[in-house]
Amino acid sequence: MAQTLAHAAPEVHAETAHHHHQELSFFRKYIWSEDHKTIGLQYLFTSMFFLLVGGLLAMGIRYQLAFPGTPVPILGKLLPKWLVTDAGAIQPGGYNALFTMHATVMVFLVVMPFLIGVFGNFLIPLKIGAADMAFPFFNALSFWLFFVSGFIILSSFFSPTGFPASGWTSYAPLSAHGAYNGTQYGQSAWCVGLFVNGLASIAGAMNYITTIINMRAPGMKMFRLPLAVWGLLVTAFLLLLAVPVLSAAAAMLFCDLNFGTTFFSSTNFGQPLLWQHLFWFFGHPEVYIMVLPAMGLVSEILPVFCRKPIFGYKAMVFAMVAIGVLGFIVWGHHMFVSGMNLMLSATFSFSTMVIAVPSAIKTFNWLGTVWRGSVRFTTPMCFALAFVSMFVIGGLSGIFMASTPVDIFIHHTYFVVAHIHYVLFGGSIFAIFAALYFWYPKMFGRMMNEFWGKVHFCLAFIFFNLTFFPMHNLGLNGMMRRIADPTQYDHLRSQQPVNVFITLSAFGLGLSTIPFLVNFFYSMFRGPKAPRNPWEATTLEWTLPSPPGHGNFETTPTVYHGPYEYSVPGMDQDFLPQNQPAPETARISSH
Amino acid sequence: MKYSPVHRGFLSFALVLLGVSSAGAAPRTTHLWWMPDVASRSGQTIDGLFYFIFYLTAVVFVLTQVVYVYFLIKYRARKGVSATYSHGNNRLEVIWTVIPTAIFLGLWGYSNHVWWDVIHSEPPADALEIAITGYQFAFGIQYPGADGRLGRTDVKLIANDNLFGNDKSDPAAKDNFTSAVLELPVDRPVRIRLNAKDVIHAFYVPEFRIYQDAVPGRTIDWVWFVPTKIGSYQLACNQLCGSGHYNMKAQIQVVSQEEFDKWNKEKSTAALVSHDPDRAYALNP
Amino acid sequence: MSSPAIALPFGNVSFPRPNIVRFGMLTFLASEAMLFAGLICGYIVLRSGAGTGWQMPEALKNPGTITQTLVATALLLGSSFTLHFGEVRLLRGERHGRALLLLTVVLGSLFLANQANEWTHLHQEGFWFNSAGIMGSCFFVLTGFHGLHVAIGVILLTVSLIQAVFGLVTPEHHAFMDCSSLYWHFVDIVWVFLFTILYIL
Ligand code: HEA
Ligand code: HEA
Ligand code: CUA
Ligand SMILES: [Cu+2]
Repeated sequence: MAQTLAHAAPEVHAETAHHHHQELSFFRKYIWSEDHKTIGLQYLFTSMFFLLVGGLLAMGIRYQLAFPGTPVPILGKLLPKWLVTDAGAIQPGGYNALFTMHATVMVFLVVMPFLIGVFGNFLIPLKIGAADMAFPFFNALSFWLFFVSGFIILSSFFSPTGFPASGWTSYAPLSAHGAYNGTQYGQSAWCVGLFVNGLASIAGAMNYITTIINMRAPGMKMFRLPLAVWGLLVTAFLLLLAVPVLSAAAAMLFCDLNFGTTFFSSTNFGQPLLWQHLFWFFGHPEVYIMVLPAMGLVSEILPVFCRKPIFGYKAMVFAMVAIGVLGFIVWGHHMFVSGMNLMLSATFSFSTMVIAVPSAIKTFNWLGTVWRGSVRFTTPMCFALAFVSMFVIGGLSGIFMASTPVDIFIHHTYFVVAHIHYVLFGGSIFAIFAALYFWYPKMFGRMMNEFWGKVHFCLAFIFFNLTFFPMHNLGLNGMMRRIADPTQYDHLRSQQPVNVFITLSAFGLGLSTIPFLVNFFYSMFRGPKAPRNPWEATTLEWTLPSPPGHGNFETTPTVYHGPYEYSVPGMDQDFLPQNQPAPETARISSH
Repeated sequence: MKYSPVHRGFLSFALVLLGVSSAGAAPRTTHLWWMPDVASRSGQTIDGLFYFIFYLTAVVFVLTQVVYVYFLIKYRARKGVSATYSHGNNRLEVIWTVIPTAIFLGLWGYSNHVWWDVIHSEPPADALEIAITGYQFAFGIQYPGADGRLGRTDVKLIANDNLFGNDKSDPAAKDNFTSAVLELPVDRPVRIRLNAKDVIHAFYVPEFRIYQDAVPGRTIDWVWFVPTKIGSYQLACNQLCGSGHYNMKAQIQVVSQEEFDKWNKEKSTAALVSHDPDRAYALNP
Repeated sequence: MSSPAIALPFGNVSFPRPNIVRFGMLTFLASEAMLFAGLICGYIVLRSGAGTGWQMPEALKNPGTITQTLVATALLLGSSFTLHFGEVRLLRGERHGRALLLLTVVLGSLFLANQANEWTHLHQEGFWFNSAGIMGSCFFVLTGFHGLHVAIGVILLTVSLIQAVFGLVTPEHHAFMDCSSLYWHFVDIVWVFLFTILYIL
């Protein structure tokens, strides 16, 4: 460790690496690799696996909601007893475990590692012209901590009491006493898992911030950074300051569960609402952690396929920073009706309204980018474009809930569930797909199949909306979240057809990922070889071979202008890479 | 059901596509695609605000999407037509920063007015106060009886044999009685004294547009509303509270004042005559 | 190390400045600060909520405990100074550098020893995680978290010491010691807060 720190200087690292290139052992090359690109790929495959896990859990949720009490086909008999009845039907307690883990997996083991682990690691050094991250050792450590945390969280599957079952928000006192939640082990594992996961996030955040601020190539001024890097930088700060609070809360919850402390219990002067405040102090920044990098990635892809500079670069940057800062003072909007002081609700409603403004700014600038562009509808572009629309829908539903009186009515209904998935699936996941199709050539040196990409997009887009849009209506109809069997309620029985409809669409959505998976793995071996710059993009990573070698740049590149110089007048080529001086003829205007 | 799940699935798939509500509709007025008719006074105000936001966001959505799609079609890549080189426009930035800000601040003002002046305004003195306590997995409902007073209660006293934390020495509590059904007189303000025994539960009635968490260790006394429609509804626990959460509910009957008075009288005299603490303070009869 | 980047007339150069490791450490400490901030805010909320329910257990009140802890606090604070001067001397290549580093490690260990002793003795007095109202929860979790940090700090400093002994700490290469000491000072400051809120107020 002392060594690594001493050698943290990446040039040194790169040089030494160059010399010992061939000598790298299998272990150092694939298991404990300290190359940011390899680590990025390690994250990629791990979180893809977790996506399947989280998705299958979601399929379980949907099956139960549409056909409550009917045995699960095929799987039913194989599932453990804490989850299903002897007949093989999902039981209420098991259902709670399903959505708890579905969310925990999707949030902490899919979206975060995908956006931050995969694209953060792979892109940051390439885009800022550095040889590697500032602390390669901690980078590798971060991945393995994340990897372990995933399996700690899932380990409770094999315990007799099974998965934690008090929701991904784990409200105390339900979560604080085995007697109440019935799965002391599962809940404890959840705490430990999230604590370890937090360490991984913090190690990563520290690395990103240090790298982005200190290791930019000559000429790469902060306002010449690609927006993806800006998004990741702001996100890193959110992680750095929000995650430790969750760690603290998780530790306290763990003690409540196992050492008889009473932080969050109603007895012995504990305070149930304290958990909610600590959780949401982390939880709201968390949701922006899951969308800011996505916004960055999309802002990266739109200009390339509009052949046009991003509209209002600086506005985009300020908007992201504003979201990051304001993100810390809106957490109470999850607690309007929690019994929290009514005055606080009013205040948090105010800050929540305000934080919608920067998102508005971003939306309009995306529209501005398309305006008078020359739009090419490639697969990554389709997903990026869809991101914008879906985010708008998700965001607008957020406005309903930001209004305290309306939230009284729709709180904890499927309206919220619809919101969640529009911003997280239509938002984050669509952006992830876009970015995967876009940087795949750089990652694997081959192109993905365009046709099957489009097929994947169409299926995903259609089934996504069929699945999640009707949830708004269910919510307005008074369908609560987190109930294992809607048919228990008079007013929901008549809604059952909608639930069935949603479930069938959800299966479609699930299956739509299969063309993607096939395309992804097939292209890795059979796809056509990718040139350096298949999309004719301007940022630094495209000046390198695909995939870039260890140590990235032969000589540190020099950056001459902003990241989005497309269709510059007076040039025969319609894009101007960041490391190429503008020719005299070019009439380049800075933003 | 003689149909297989999948069979039923496709049937209702078709039904929904046709927008037809399924058979055997519930006693409550529900629509397949829209919220149930409002049945409380403050609920009407909430709906007003809801529709305001609904139309606002609808306009925003349509505008943004129409412009977006129009641009995508108009500016699709075509031979010989290259993109316009532009880094943005500061006047536009200012416009689309200021306008949304104004809208949002206005919206907050409106919301705040409803929040304070309608929903959380002082409950009228003549409000009928009812104690409700959630526990795994049911609601306890206690009425003040003929004297119309619940008497002193304290969360610290809440226990299996004293679900509502009544101070049993308080004479006002003598004729209190519990009920399995939440019986409410129409058009009469009702005030809830909300408690939870073990974990967090919630008081949720979609038709009344009311939601409030019941937090163990503290009494929440600011929930009040005025039922406006005679009929039967359901009180649902809408806060995850364990394996029984999914059907933790209670029946609600909104009846005429006369009917209510009659029912109330019988119950409270019965409670006074055979003063059985269980029926008064703990379990549902 | 020389990098071509130096020659170029640009604001920010690509090769890492010598303080890059320090920079990373400081960001990490910001995160650590939030961890304790979370715990301490919890404490504040719980304490103000408990009102009269907040009882200082006899075991903590008795002068014996207080004085012991005061001494331990003094030792910990002292160790920050010994560390500082040890560092300075080591980098200047002056005498007693290692000795001071060793002293720091000893002082830190003494603090830990005292804490372990205090915990056992409080346990015997019947003061534990689940006793004395919410005070037990707060006291043991906060001091526990801090103790953990001190332990890690001691390990880090021991490694630095070993480096120093083998002459691996030079004016060019002292990143590891730098970070360890930053960490150590941070842990000290945190203790000042914890001591005040848990023993005095
Ligand atoms: C990526 C994740 C993400 C994002 C980006 C957001 C964005 C927003 N969220 Fe969301 N939210 C979640 C993830 C996210 N949320 C999750 C996971 C939950 C549930 C947690 C749980 O309980 O399990 C939740 C819950 C949640 C609640 C609590 C609901 C409840 O439990 O009762 C609220 C309440 O205020 C809220 C509000 C908002 C708002 C106002 C925004 C705003 O940032 C949106 C801003 C964007 C727009 C407004 C659209 C674009 C703007 C324009 C087109 C301009 C013009 C618009 C107007 C003039 C109206 N969210
Ligand atoms: C990034 C976050 C994310 C993502 C991507 C998803 C994806 C999905 N979620 Fe998510 N969901 C949440 C985050 C997310 N969810 C959160 C935070 C909650 C709140 C939890 C709580 O209340 O505590 C929630 C809750 C939630 C509920 C409400 C549960 C309840 O309150 O009772 C439902 C119900 O329909 C649901 C459904 C789905 C579906 C159908 C998908 C689909 O999009 C999934 C599609 C993907 C796949 C299916 C995987 C890939 C494909 C395969 C594995 C192969 C084919 C498989 C089959 C066809 C069987 N989710
Ligand atoms: Cu009680 Cu849910
Ligand atoms: Cu939020």
